[in-house]
Amino acid sequence: MSNFDNDFSRRLFLKGAGATAGASALSMLPIQAAFAAAFPEKNIQIFVPTRAGGGADRNMRAFTSVWKNYLKTNFEAGFYPGAAGRVGYETYMGKAKADCYNLIFGNMGPEVLNWVVKKPTFDLKSFLYIAQVDQDPGIVFVSKKNKKLKTIDDIVKEGKKRTLNVGVSRLAHPASLGVLALGRHTGAKFNLVPLSGGRNTRAGVATGEMDFGALPSGSVVRKQKQFDIVAVFDKANPLPNRMKKAVVVNDHFGMKLPPLYAGARAFGIKREAIEKHPDRYKVLTDTLQKVYTDPAYKKAVEKTKAPWKYISYGSPADCEKYVEYITAIGQEYKSLLTGKS
Amino acid sequence: MSDENGQDSGKPEKRAAGAELVLPIAGLLFTLYYFTTIINVPWTAQVSAFFVGNILIGLIIALIIRTAIQVRRGEATLSIAPLIAPKEYVPKRLALLGLTLGYVFFIQWGGFTVTTFFFLLCAMLLLSGGKKKGLILTLSLILSVGGYFLFIVAFNTRFPKGPVETMLQGVF
Amino acid sequence: MEIDWGLFADLFGRTFTFWWVILPAILLGLIVGAIPGFSAANTIIILLPMTLAMEPEIGLIFMVALYASSRMGAGIPAILVNIPGTAGAAATPLDGYPMTKQGRAQQALAISFVSSVFGGLLTTILALMAMPWLSQVAYHLHSVEMIVIMLFGISLIATIAAKDTLKGLIAGFFGLMIGYIGADVVYETPRGTFGFLELYDKVPLIPALVGLFAVSEAFAVIEGESILTKRGMDAMQKAGWQETWEGVRLAISRWWHIIWTSIIGLVIGVVPGAGAAIASFVAYQQSKTFSKTPEKYGTGHLDGLVAPESANNGVTSGTLIPLLVIGVPGGATAAIMAVVLQYHGVTVGPDLFDSQPELAYGAFTAMAVTYAIMILTVLPLARYMSRITVVSTIYMAPIIISFTLVGSFVPRAYVFDMYLALAFGVIGYVARKTGYHVAAILIGVILGPLLENYFLRALRISQGDVMVIFSSSLGNVMWVMLIISLFVPMYLDRRRKAREQALPTTTDC
Repeated sequence: MSNFDNDFSRRLFLKGAGATAGASALSMLPIQAAFAAAFPEKNIQIFVPTRAGGGADRNMRAFTSVWKNYLKTNFEAGFYPGAAGRVGYETYMGKAKADCYNLIFGNMGPEVLNWVVKKPTFDLKSFLYIAQVDQDPGIVFVSKKNKKLKTIDDIVKEGKKRTLNVGVSRLAHPASLGVLALGRHTGAKFNLVPLSGGRNTRAGVATGEMDFGALPSGSVVRKQKQFDIVAVFDKANPLPNRMKKAVVVNDHFGMKLPPLYAGARAFGIKREAIEKHPDRYKVLTDTLQKVYTDPAYKKAVEKTKAPWKYISYGSPADCEKYVEYITAIGQEYKSLLTGKS
Repeated sequence: MSDENGQDSGKPEKRAAGAELVLPIAGLLFTLYYFTTIINVPWTAQVSAFFVGNILIGLIIALIIRTAIQVRRGEATLSIAPLIAPKEYVPKRLALLGLTLGYVFFIQWGGFTVTTFFFLLCAMLLLSGGKKKGLILTLSLILSVGGYFLFIVAFNTRFPKGPVETMLQGVF
Repeated sequence: MEIDWGLFADLFGRTFTFWWVILPAILLGLIVGAIPGFSAANTIIILLPMTLAMEPEIGLIFMVALYASSRMGAGIPAILVNIPGTAGAAATPLDGYPMTKQGRAQQALAISFVSSVFGGLLTTILALMAMPWLSQVAYHLHSVEMIVIMLFGISLIATIAAKDTLKGLIAGFFGLMIGYIGADVVYETPRGTFGFLELYDKVPLIPALVGLFAVSEAFAVIEGESILTKRGMDAMQKAGWQETWEGVRLAISRWWHIIWTSIIGLVIGVVPGAGAAIASFVAYQQSKTFSKTPEKYGTGHLDGLVAPESANNGVTSGTLIPLLVIGVPGGATAAIMAVVLQYHGVTVGPDLFDSQPELAYGAFTAMAVTYAIMILTVLPLARYMSRITVVSTIYMAPIIISFTLVGSFVPRAYVFDMYLALAFGVIGYVARKTGYHVAAILIGVILGPLLENYFLRALRISQGDVMVIFSSSLGNVMWVMLIISLFVPMYLDRRRKAREQALPTTTDC
């Protein structure tokens, strides 16, 4: 870059900083004053049961950046990580008002499995998911540096000779269950090692401490230069161009596993809020459905490098069905998830 | 690091060993409580805590025995004097603790700016014995308002917000 | 991997022309580093709209400068008022604060600045030179080896408890038990939480830091007019520029110490997730182990200040390596930098050296230039910063209490965390008054959960075989080193004492 470019950048920087400061000042203006008194009159609070900067945060921000245009209000996120999502849900159910101004945004798969492992303090019937945002299948991946394990067949073959260590985000996770089911079907021995989150799991596989890993595909597909995705727990390979080496576990091994959506993020609400404010609830659900077809949302998702193909609306009934089915799988593997066999 | 343990090895006075037992006894009670929470859990959740907890209990028992021997020999007493010494500061310290508790309690409703102003004002007046009122008032005002502009307006930090912060949200 | 030194040199010169980005970033970094509750990571998040608006190169320079300077900023309150700004500076007050009490705050700050800058600068260049080898470190330091590294840090408990080993160990093990509060990493079982949801995700470090150091200190200092001793106050009244230069001279005379302790930081920083706290504890412990005057540590010993400050800046350079070489960030700040760069279409990983070398090398040159600019801007400030120590406790104590308590609220926005900081304040106060070391408790609280994580992971990998901790050759070598570093000083100390007793009192030193 020449000096001219440098100067130009400096001006841009100062301009950018000024514009940003201006924009932040603008965003702090009381927006509700601009809109009529009908619902919503104030910002909507989103409880996120995982850390800021994680997958749920990314998805939620992309979605609400468009939803706010339809709902004509802003969203404020609060992050309550801990104990595999339990802290966030308990905090939401304990502290949030049942007024449709408070929602939770979680990942149905691992979080529902968590309830199988240990019942929450609140009644599960007092809560429901109202819209699924994405469907991200669980996958098996290896490090490109792994000389021995290159395909799922290599993994199964090696797993019959010795117990392989499998890096997973947590035990009670659909992707983990997929690996357990694969082991049970093929006779390969897999030892799940929970590493608390996608980043640590990728680090465990990249540094060679784990033989391979299992995660939702979204967090690995962006790292194609470091990892190969070798198997997918879904009806078909949803991204054949980006997961070229991935085989569909059911087809390849003649299994009948239901699709294991390791990422199934969704908005949830207290049932009491719907009963008390059906009109508000209707506004919420009517507006949120419009987001899925808005090109701005597609743009926002693509900016996060998440595959647009995974975005899929799920109605409250779809969500309930998913919850039932993941609960059933969880019950089947309960002893493995709790350490009590 | 301040290490005021209230002892002076050079003096022939008896050690006030009672005060030294306060923290270990709290540690012992906490460890026993902790053990009750991990009785019926998988062994992975128990192994580290049982290992460390048992060592801690062993160390505490050793300290208790050591103290008992010292008391018996007349080298120490079970006094807790160092904990509250010097006595003339006890009322001030307790009042400061009360103010601090009040600060934490009220800040969630009052917000950072107002609560901090009142806390700084009251705490400084308490410590100064009511002197230098003008200086303390100015300082409390500058610090609380300055804190508001630096942390809430400039950095947009998640500080506890109350009526003042909400009211000024549209202005800054 | 071939290092393109020509490009590095070219970029080094060019990065200086971005002084207008680096300077404000340094200033901001020093401020956020110095305030408990703030950190480079959450500042980058707060400033995300601005960083995203910048060109990737400028954004990277800004973030790296903020990161490096926040590390230095954390040491300032640790030295001046016994409050580490972040956990990475938790070992700094061990010798930094006693120097302040003696009226040598200016020297201590200068030593900290010089150690940080030279430690940081050296490790940045070393990181680049040794990248092909250093990148292999993460492939060899797995759970088992990390257990031993954690124990190196934890053994500091015994080292700083030299006066009364039993009480020191009780403080440390109490800290470890507190560190075990929260859900276990394997089955997510909540333990010792008193039913508080807020403790399920372990004891948050900032409230522990704020309580044990800041709140307890504030309640203790109200007994005096100032935090300084009488002699300290006299010294501070007379202080001028020469004290800063004395600090610089003293730090430079410790050049060898800066080099090897910063290398400890670099190597530990390379391991994803290890962090600055463990590096500074290990560096302090090693520094004391190999010192000829170990008994002076904790009383304002220069080496005891140089070691943690060099090491925690070594970590800053180290965390860039896993990010750039294996595409896995070494810590939270590096992870956020990766997110910002990703937004600009830059995928951080090994290919960056081929695809956009100006960014890959740029991360290192930005760090080197930041350190160079930082020493010039910060050193003259030492004299003015140190004046804070003469402020009367009437004003100091309430300010410390209010701002640090609010600081403990910031990371999670739980009012609970302020109460927690207050509870730790009570523990810290009792500890101070009855001769227990608060640093020993904090070491336990910080390192306890890390040790447990690595231990459980190792056990899980071995499927319950405890002997796994002796299963690696490198690990076994490290075990031997740990035992040597624990017992050799004891042996030497005993021999020294025996010799002193044997010698007639007439001998003069």
